Amino acid sequence: MTKAAFLTDATLCIGCKACEVACKEWNEVPDDGMIWTGFSYDNTQMLGASTWRHVMFLEQPAVAGPQQVDMENPFRWIFLSDVCKHCGNAGCLEACPTGAIVRTDVGSVLVQSDVCNGCGYCVVSCPFGVVDKRHPDGRAFKCTFCYDRQSAGMIPACAKACPTQSIRFGELDELREASVARVAELQGRGYTDAQVYDPLETSVGGTHAMFVILGQPDAYNLPPAPEVPTIYLKSAWTSALVSALVLVAIVCGAFLF
Amino acid sequence: MPGLGTTYGRGGATTAPNDLLNSDAILIMGSNMAENHPVGFQWVMEAKELGTKVLHVDPRFSRTSAVANIWVPLRAGSDILFLGALIRYVLESELFFREYVVHYTNASVIITEDFKDSEDLDGIFSGWDAEKKTYDPKSWLYEGVEPDKSTRAGQAAPQGCHGGHAEHGLHAMPDLSRYHQDPTLQHPRCVFQLLRKHFARYTPDMVERYCGVSKDAFLRAAETFCTASGPDKTGAICYALGWTQHSNGVQMIRCAAILQLLLGNMGRPGGGILALRGHASIQGSTDVPTLYDILPGYLSMPKFGEESKTLANYIEKYSSCTGWWHNLDKYIVSLLKAYYGESAQPENEFGFHWLPRVTGDHSHQGYWLDMLDGKMDGLFVMGQNPAVAGPNSGMERRGLSKLKWLVVREMVETETASFWCESPEVKRGEWRTEEIPTEVFLLPAAGHAEKDGTFTNTQRLLQWRQKAVDPPGDSRSENWFAYHLGVLLREKARRDPRPRNAGLLALKWDYSIEGPRREPIAEEVLQEMNGYIVANHELVPGFTALKADGSTACGCWIYSGVFPKMGENRANQRTAKGFYGHGWGFAWPSDRRILYNRASARPDGNPWSERKKLVWWDFQSKQWTGLDVPDFTGTKAPDYQPPEDAEGDAGLAGDKPFLLHGDGLGWIWVPVGLSDGPLPAHYEPLESPVRNPIYPKRQTNPAAEAKTRPGNEYATSPDARFPFVMMTYRLTEHHTAGGMSRTLSHLAELQPELFCEISLELAKELKIEHGEWVTLVTARGAIEAHALSTARMRPLTIGDKLVHQIGLPFHWGYNGLVKGDIGNDLVAISEEPNVRIMETKGLLCNLFVGRRADNAAQLSEYQSIAEGKIA
Amino acid sequence: MAATDIPGGPGRPKASEDRLDAIRNEASTTGKVVTGAGRAHASAPIREAEDYYNLPVLKPPTWTWEVPLYFFIGGIAGVSSVIAFVGHLFHADPPMVRVALWIAFVGTVLCPALLISDLGRPLRFLNMLRVFKWRSAMSMGSWILSSFGAAVFLAVATNELVLYGIQSPFLPALRWVGEFAGAVTGLLLASYTGVLIGATAIPVWHEHRRLLPAHFLTSGLGGSSAILEFFGFLVPATQILGFAAASGETLVGIMLELRHSRVDRPLHHGKSGWTMRIAGTLEGPIALFVRILWKGSAHGRYAAAACFLVGALCSRYAWIWAGRASAHDPQAVFESQHVAIAARKAAHRAV
Repeated sequence: MTKAAFLTDATLCIGCKACEVACKEWNEVPDDGMIWTGFSYDNTQMLGASTWRHVMFLEQPAVAGPQQVDMENPFRWIFLSDVCKHCGNAGCLEACPTGAIVRTDVGSVLVQSDVCNGCGYCVVSCPFGVVDKRHPDGRAFKCTFCYDRQSAGMIPACAKACPTQSIRFGELDELREASVARVAELQGRGYTDAQVYDPLETSVGGTHAMFVILGQPDAYNLPPAPEVPTIYLKSAWTSALVSALVLVAIVCGAFLF
Repeated sequence: MPGLGTTYGRGGATTAPNDLLNSDAILIMGSNMAENHPVGFQWVMEAKELGTKVLHVDPRFSRTSAVANIWVPLRAGSDILFLGALIRYVLESELFFREYVVHYTNASVIITEDFKDSEDLDGIFSGWDAEKKTYDPKSWLYEGVEPDKSTRAGQAAPQGCHGGHAEHGLHAMPDLSRYHQDPTLQHPRCVFQLLRKHFARYTPDMVERYCGVSKDAFLRAAETFCTASGPDKTGAICYALGWTQHSNGVQMIRCAAILQLLLGNMGRPGGGILALRGHASIQGSTDVPTLYDILPGYLSMPKFGEESKTLANYIEKYSSCTGWWHNLDKYIVSLLKAYYGESAQPENEFGFHWLPRVTGDHSHQGYWLDMLDGKMDGLFVMGQNPAVAGPNSGMERRGLSKLKWLVVREMVETETASFWCESPEVKRGEWRTEEIPTEVFLLPAAGHAEKDGTFTNTQRLLQWRQKAVDPPGDSRSENWFAYHLGVLLREKARRDPRPRNAGLLALKWDYSIEGPRREPIAEEVLQEMNGYIVANHELVPGFTALKADGSTACGCWIYSGVFPKMGENRANQRTAKGFYGHGWGFAWPSDRRILYNRASARPDGNPWSERKKLVWWDFQSKQWTGLDVPDFTGTKAPDYQPPEDAEGDAGLAGDKPFLLHGDGLGWIWVPVGLSDGPLPAHYEPLESPVRNPIYPKRQTNPAAEAKTRPGNEYATSPDARFPFVMMTYRLTEHHTAGGMSRTLSHLAELQPELFCEISLELAKELKIEHGEWVTLVTARGAIEAHALSTARMRPLTIGDKLVHQIGLPFHWGYNGLVKGDIGNDLVAISEEPNVRIMETKGLLCNLFVGRRADNAAQLSEYQSIAEGKIA
Repeated sequence: MAATDIPGGPGRPKASEDRLDAIRNEASTTGKVVTGAGRAHASAPIREAEDYYNLPVLKPPTWTWEVPLYFFIGGIAGVSSVIAFVGHLFHADPPMVRVALWIAFVGTVLCPALLISDLGRPLRFLNMLRVFKWRSAMSMGSWILSSFGAAVFLAVATNELVLYGIQSPFLPALRWVGEFAGAVTGLLLASYTGVLIGATAIPVWHEHRRLLPAHFLTSGLGGSSAILEFFGFLVPATQILGFAAASGETLVGIMLELRHSRVDRPLHHGKSGWTMRIAGTLEGPIALFVRILWKGSAHGRYAAAACFLVGALCSRYAWIWAGRASAHDPQAVFESQHVAIAARKAAHRAV
């Protein structure tokens, strides 16, 4: 495996949450609070330090392709398992001041928990809102891409547990091709709003966890045009430099007069 | 189970989940397969990708509906109307597979002229005894068949002995091989014409008015499913507790079974009926049963009376002249030899007298009501949580407090184990712990990875599990417990020479034990179930080697073949070959994966089509061959005709696939074996918002028992106090009564609180804010839950009124990381007549905004709510 | 959502969320321009505002009270060392230079303590110096703070030794080195914090990434000169610096008030909005006018200095709270990104 990747397909997901549970079991992730939200069947709400796979439930007034549902108005219920995107250009990795966050030999983004000192900078640098600090532990946590399992020749726990192959694991290039083919096939079958979510044309440079979704990314809280925050550095530092020069001039001026 | 058992011969799924890949259409009804069988559901998703049409007919739009091609909403409890209309559609549109129907079913058989249909008698069939509330099925027999083989076995069984888990549990087995038939299907009393007449009024109009399904939706579903039949196409039906937990559940299943016979789907790839069993190994728990009315391998438990006076009587009653049950004597004798070993000899009828006799309704509901009446001293509860999972769970908890002693064996402290201190009755002050006389023992049990043994899953597949770790502390396996309990009881019995202990002392109880914990060797038990020759303990290759003379022993004849020789534990094999996975585990019987697969070939032995070939006759080697183990005698030629008076399997012709039946045919018409009719008729649930539109004079299944008593009352049908229809169900995230999921943080956090699902319309009408607390009340009790208002719940127009349906998951209780009210407090104790299962769908309820305590005044107006079950 | 009447008299439909939804529906169904009154006039089909149950897309900053306080103190310490160097260069009063150096030194003690306290695993603070990543503003910050500390320590120590009377040819040279290094790193210290929060995924922060370094520097400037004034250095230099800083902050305040996109909401609404406005007013116009109106009196200068300090401190907290509010608003992310997508498409079409 040179570049490991996930392709998660909403049209194959049955919302069983086996991925959430398998991930927690394997990685010994603690629970994230017993909160009933009333958001359809989603009581997990979002990814975080203690949720690395999150199944979303969307009840929408739209049709799922050719599905025939005997209701007065169009209706569909879509499920999708969200995960850390393992970005091509990762905001968390660039931001980490201790070097705790690294790119592994399978191309994933890994937080080394024995180095992390919980500074929290990765948390505000992720354009997808994935990584977070765990309390009271103090360190930052996110999906490890089951690096330990991959190193032992196994596939990630979520992909293993998924009963319908909604979560596919494989080589990045192959899955990228597969995602395009899948969307073409779905559109041919009548799922006119099927699309791939893989922000290749942004500074993130594509993600190693891609999704096949129905409808707009916004509905899944996926940012339509995510950017890696390092693109803001140039303008910010330039401003700092110019302001600094102006300040020196003012201080000089203050002492000269 | 008896729905399938009577129709086809064996009560179990006839196919395997992966066979759904071969289906051209899949009808999922009475089931939420994606949520409750997510792993099995992968085959449905894969089939869908291959072009299979998936239909989901259900009151709720669940996670199964979300991925189905077609979803049809349905009023809970109106399934027979819908299915009956499908049957009528098939008959009227001539979509039935004629050649299959004529040769392989009893559609052409002529019924006795004494028979009167429910259409003639305003809702009951002939033979109804209004006092005893039972049917005498004499008038349902084939013309020309004598009711009983002999007079001795003909006496009626005592009241309540109507357990139907055995294939032919009710009456003596008549000789069904001598029937008259009309292969043109024209004779007015042939099954085909009786069927047509019986379902004539189940029209799409009726479906629209009383199921709430628009005619378009019905016809679309009917066409999609019913055209997937014939030589080149097959369709499968999947069902679960959405059908079984009804007062006429068995008849709902019967409708599907009839449909599959008409469409010629049985025994064929992509066809069949997938009865989705729930728990891991619940199939095993009926194969090697802890049920009161059957013995291992679906032999009948002897009932008190003439039939059990001698072993010969019993055999006379339950074996058949023709068909496979002719071998019953071999199985019962081998079972007795397994139980009693040396003590079982021909002279003492192999210890037949030591078996208990059924004297009444000893089902769960039956004995629980006895418990409530103070008739029971003690109870072992192992791997069940009746305080939450039992119907009318408030009454179940009440029953526990009447016991002298209670032993609970569990991995966690369930609500049953702590009823005496944590139940709502105690919390409300209704009971005081100090006054409960029950002595409660909670013993720790081992989990599934901590013990050896097999699971038998829904496709009848035995898979061996190896112990991975020792159970912690004092936790022990069921084998350990049962074995050592037996040792202790036998020691006590030795000191007590009364005749009643003779059977206990006669038991063969010499299992080898191993290790410091003295664990019985599970493989030995499996070997015993496989069967062996008594003289030299050699394992038998299968049930055909069993004998009736006491020379063989076999603990479960349908499992025979799982351990054919020492070292060959087929349940533990993991090399799958071929599409059906032979070489991975062992499917009973004899590793046949698709039952009745003789029907996948034409009467002449060739496959119906290349596309749908499964098993066929090899004309060279003169035996049946194919992609599965033939469910047929291997060397019986397709054109074999039995000689006059031939018995057993030899009495069935070579084109009769349903070999457990005396006539070898698939039973569209069930002449014997069911308590409530040879054909399904629509009755309303025990509580319904409408009167029965088909039979206004018979509102509910006449043979079902409501067990009405104080604390177990019913609403009227309809009832102004309870305008909404309610159903309980499972969510993927939790396990039934929640003992194994509410105690695990990773599962508990997925669904932490009890909620009920209501439609947006109902929320608007009652001004319920999404998520707020509401109180649900039925004639049995009241609970509180969050209101989840969603477009997925649809109100339906039934008759002339709008009926709202409310869904309620039942997983919560008073222990664990997450707690909530107990859904089953709302359900009634009732008994379907064949299997005595309760009705959990189609109840009537009411709903108010606010928590239980806030609604105390309103709840007290409901007089049916006994003993102040509020706050 | 309260309905608000729009001017134009009776007969016009009330602007309200319902009305806005109706306009959106019409636009997305017909795909055409919708004419009609509303809070925002439609000039193109309005995107149906969509998100996942209004849950946040991003994660809010996990930083607690120590971090804004660090911004405040670090800014003051950093500019203070610039004032010390430039002052020394232009022959300012040695006591003032000395105090300025000591202010910087106090900063080098307090700042690391605050940051270490905020860490999830404080004992692992040295890991901050494991790597040097110019692409991480926080990594740069760790090195900047460390080198600032070393430089200021050198400057203070050598200055004290010189003042004590130790004769050595190296000391003055070392002092110049320390002061210069301190000034350079001090400029970085006082401005990099603006880069730190500007180069993140938080919309309101990265939207203002050019403003923030300038804003924080100005804060540092006014803050350090204010403290010098409190130490009694009521000289023209500190008056000019105070005046410049307050003017700068007034300009910043005006610029922020003019921004009205969804991303800027936390600057005008809620806890962060109100704090931002009050703080901005204090360190901007109020400090400015007090300084102008009472420029002669010592009390006037003390009052102006105090206003500035309080405003600057509160402003740091306001910016962190604004970041939190921004992270919690999914529409801030979606709106700004859809604008970016539209701009990119327009650019492609123009090509």
